[in-house]
Amino acid sequence: MQTYVQFAILGLGLGAIYIGLGTGLLLVHRATGIINFAQGAMAMWGAYVFAQLRLDGTLTFPIGSIDLGRRPTVLVSALIGLLMAVLLGLVAHYLVFRPVRHAPVLAQVVVSVALMITIQALVVLRFGPNNIKVDSILPEGTWSLLGVEVSSREILMALIMAALSGVVWAYMRFTRAGVATRAASENERAAVLMGFSPDRLAAVAQVIASVLGTIAVTLGSALTGLNPENYTLLVVPALAVLLVARMESIGIVVVAAIVLGAFQSIIGLLVTKPWWPVWAQSGFDQIVPFAVVMVILFVLGRRLPSRGSLQTIRLPDVAIPKLKLVPTLILLAGGVAALALTTGSYRFGITTSIIVMLLALSYVVLTGYLGQISLAQGAFAGAAGFTLSKVTTGWGIPFPLSIILCGLVAAALGMLVALPAFRIRGAQLAIVTIAAALAIERFVFNNYSLTPPEGNPIAAATLFGINLSVREGRDLSRLSFSLMVLVVAAILVFLFIRLASGDTGRTFLAVRANERAAASSGINVRMTKLIGFGISAFIAGIAGCLIGLSRGQLSAESFTVFTGLQILAVAYLGGITSVGGAVVAGILGPLGIIYVLLRGVFDLGAYYPLISGLGLIITAILNPVGIAGATREQVAWVRRKLSRTPPAEPRSDATTATPTPKEPSRV
Amino acid sequence: MSDAPASTRAGLETRSLTVRYGGLVANSDVSITVRPGEVVGLIGPNGAGKTTFVDAVTGFTQCEGEILLNGTPIQELPPHERRASGLSRTWQSGELFGNLSVAENLLVAARKGGWRTLARDLFGRRKADAGRDLVENALAVVGLEGVTDTLARDLTLGQQKLVGVARALAGGSEVLLLDEPAAGLDSMESQAFASRVRAIAQGGENGAGDGDGPGILLIDHDMSLVLSVCDVVNVLEFGKHIFSGTPAEARTDPTVVAAYLGAPVEATHV
Amino acid sequence: MSEITNTATEPLLETRDLAAGYNGVPAIRGLTLSVGPGEVVALLGPNGAGKTTSLLAMVGLVPPLAGEVRVLGEPLGKRKPHQVARAGVLLVPDDRGIFYGLTVREHLRLAGKKNDAQREVEVLDKFPVLRNLDSRRAGLMSGGEQQMLAIAKALLARPKVLIIDEMSLGLAPKIVQEMLPAIRELAKEDGIGVVLVEQHIELALGIADRGVILNHGQVVLTGAASDLLRDRHLVEAAYFGAEEFAADDEDKTLAG
Repeated sequence: MQTYVQFAILGLGLGAIYIGLGTGLLLVHRATGIINFAQGAMAMWGAYVFAQLRLDGTLTFPIGSIDLGRRPTVLVSALIGLLMAVLLGLVAHYLVFRPVRHAPVLAQVVVSVALMITIQALVVLRFGPNNIKVDSILPEGTWSLLGVEVSSREILMALIMAALSGVVWAYMRFTRAGVATRAASENERAAVLMGFSPDRLAAVAQVIASVLGTIAVTLGSALTGLNPENYTLLVVPALAVLLVARMESIGIVVVAAIVLGAFQSIIGLLVTKPWWPVWAQSGFDQIVPFAVVMVILFVLGRRLPSRGSLQTIRLPDVAIPKLKLVPTLILLAGGVAALALTTGSYRFGITTSIIVMLLALSYVVLTGYLGQISLAQGAFAGAAGFTLSKVTTGWGIPFPLSIILCGLVAAALGMLVALPAFRIRGAQLAIVTIAAALAIERFVFNNYSLTPPEGNPIAAATLFGINLSVREGRDLSRLSFSLMVLVVAAILVFLFIRLASGDTGRTFLAVRANERAAASSGINVRMTKLIGFGISAFIAGIAGCLIGLSRGQLSAESFTVFTGLQILAVAYLGGITSVGGAVVAGILGPLGIIYVLLRGVFDLGAYYPLISGLGLIITAILNPVGIAGATREQVAWVRRKLSRTPPAEPRSDATTATPTPKEPSRV
Repeated sequence: MSDAPASTRAGLETRSLTVRYGGLVANSDVSITVRPGEVVGLIGPNGAGKTTFVDAVTGFTQCEGEILLNGTPIQELPPHERRASGLSRTWQSGELFGNLSVAENLLVAARKGGWRTLARDLFGRRKADAGRDLVENALAVVGLEGVTDTLARDLTLGQQKLVGVARALAGGSEVLLLDEPAAGLDSMESQAFASRVRAIAQGGENGAGDGDGPGILLIDHDMSLVLSVCDVVNVLEFGKHIFSGTPAEARTDPTVVAAYLGAPVEATHV
Repeated sequence: MSEITNTATEPLLETRDLAAGYNGVPAIRGLTLSVGPGEVVALLGPNGAGKTTSLLAMVGLVPPLAGEVRVLGEPLGKRKPHQVARAGVLLVPDDRGIFYGLTVREHLRLAGKKNDAQREVEVLDKFPVLRNLDSRRAGLMSGGEQQMLAIAKALLARPKVLIIDEMSLGLAPKIVQEMLPAIRELAKEDGIGVVLVEQHIELALGIADRGVILNHGQVVLTGAASDLLRDRHLVEAAYFGAEEFAADDEDKTLAG
């Protein structure tokens, strides 16, 4: 019993961080209606600045740094860290979130995910990918609690964060700005009509949230050290806390954060017990946030308050694809030529590009056509990849059948994730899927008893006696393998075009445009989502199998949450609504041909994640149709100029949204 | 679309339909019948609960009471199944699929997705002009031409309303609920629309002979439209069903006039 | 009260040949109206006539497609809606613009200017019911109480122009009958220009100076409120479509 109390108290350190992030998330959501997936990453930056100052007296900026000569005191360092947090909050508001305040939820989710990727990449570049030690602001010590010796530092942290949350609560309750923030979150138009600028209130909220998170992470990271990936993803349990609090109650945020932290810590103790099943030892604590999210959003089916603000920008249009013979052949021939004329890492880069194209295509189906959000595509791909390892080495199922089977496994998983999408959409669906992705990554991919760390070998493919393995002898990138990838991709793209131009594609677009109208036109919206998630996950699964085949064996690193998010980034960058966009995404994608060139020719490989994150922010704000869409518009423009026909062009985005009712609808 | 044989075409009937939002009773005990070929009006001041009634009947709002379509209870069905059994509606705000062309808007209503459709899409043979007839027929019924391939959001408001009606008719309809179809139309368009509504109910323009058109429930604020085309007029006020009768009776009924224009207040008379 | 006479010649709020709508499609066209200090203008018309759009355009929530809006003698221009509100043009929207999660006290706090306790006393004297509801959440109040809060909230900011959309929506006629005269009184006392959208024609015209009737996005009838009340058949024709009711002219059971 004593040990349990001690572990519960140790969990308060984590709980304190959850309080900081959860309160910040709540505040930002109330002020802007946006769920800020970058809350953890933002909180991390100031803590890193603090840690680095205390480590060697270097004040690090995103670009450049100042060597202060000697290490500043703890207090000065902490204040500098907080100053950075304030600046980051302002930058995040004015440069990132403000431009998308009237954008569709999808764009808002994408922007905050992009910010998260960007800051994480920046931290890796500026502070390194490894754990760094953080000075403790609070003294270590023990207190005796009910006769048990417990660590006092964690209790102090939780108390400090709870008190700061209390200050935020008081701000919301007693200050004019705070009350106005609450008012605007309920009815933005009415707040505007009273003379309040929601924009300024939002800036204040972003700064408070950033500072609060930074304090929490600065305190909490003294216990574990700072690590870019872990702290960025602490936003997931914080989101679970936010949902428990129904995005409203700061008091519940505090309580839920402490309970979750303590509970995860106790699970850490339980899994070491002899009676705990070995297969469930690793990553089990990450199941908890996911379970919480699922219970609240799906099982309880609670409707969470959403912020009604006017949305004036639409998702980019879809041009229904047509299968044209000549361009198809040219593209295929180009692919074959590119593969045949290159060798080694360049051929491998092109092959990877083709695979990434498929992953992006899975987003085109799900997001571009069906209008749904999933941050778990990487997990679908990974699930298929690991299954492929079992299927080929364990059961000896031959090549084309093996990847189809694994694709179906991914499809089944995808349809499972579609269940929450029956009830929820937008940012809440993004929360469910990122929690699922994290749980799968930690509990399945990183679980050594399920996926041994020595590797998950995948038997090379052969078809009709042709060896399709990726390497042989000194040739590390065989042409026959690359051609096989090209053929598989071509088949999937072909099938996608069939689907997109048929009744199914039209049904998807109808659901994307308007779920009520779709239902009133006789479309079974749930079934449609199920199919869409299934197809999307199937494509991602096939891509995962090809990744597996291209490596010969799989490790968890191939399918981290961040890999999935990066693919989302390039898919959106390329253009989320078209095959062309997916092709562009493939070319730009992680480890694809551009990456290889950056690394090989310009020696810039390390900057790749940063560039893709920044590129995504800019795309999501300025050019929601993506590179492919912009190119198509440009081509159409040139054609019109050349043919000098009277303008029959589609009108621009802003002026053509579906007309709003003349008078707001009434009950 | 409907499986119901002609003899059981009893149309739509609601029995004591009641809708509550928290403590507020948005519809209380509303019993309305819409027979095939008949145009029934539903009018009332703003906030009287007309749209709520349509939402409840079509499955977008929870309600108590009974809803019968051709004698079969449908209140337990989800919205898309109510549509499939022949109950269709339009929306006050149009709610077309703006990113789809007019033809595609209609095809969405006529051809449902599903696993079988998916298999056919992926592996089946495809006809080049599949559904063209259906689209053209549906547009002919509402009297629209030359907009087949226009994006829905590029239409004028009047055209959008008509496409909304065509979409509700595409794939067959036993009873059609029109929610404020004339709001925002100018008076010319409004009049043209009125004659369309009559024709649709009579089934004349369908080419299928008289009298087998759908029943139509028409909600509108344009009194001249409602009073000129409806066989029966129902009036809601504060969610209560205060009147049911012919247009001529409605025009002279003091409760109706009071509900609409407000009862004359003695003190304010000059 | 000298400021009233100073500005009496100049309208507080004016629209000139205004067209406004959504996505480039006008919902109102050629709207010209003005309201001066202490004046009450009733904007009437059937649903979909463009009344709400007109009001939203007046405060900059819907951008004009043609023509202009002048507020306190200056063109609306690029002013943001919250700046228009701060300048003293307050719209009470048809959802009443109140916040269900906030208490009455919090509403009053947000609405009032700093250090203006006297104004609060004045306003609450008009709506004494609100005094007893101080810590009640708006979501738990009755429709009538909510509407009083909405008006009180707007008055606290010492508006120069008060625009009220469908005050009677969902209210029992009795409450409307009490509130409209109160607004008339306020307009006169404080020299506020009032624009009312109302579906209860009799009541609205009963307290208004002028009436403007919209149908299909255009002004179809305008005149002094007393004239419109007297020639009720004209109003009905404007509402219901002329051809229908012209024939029923002798059948004057309508007005009772």
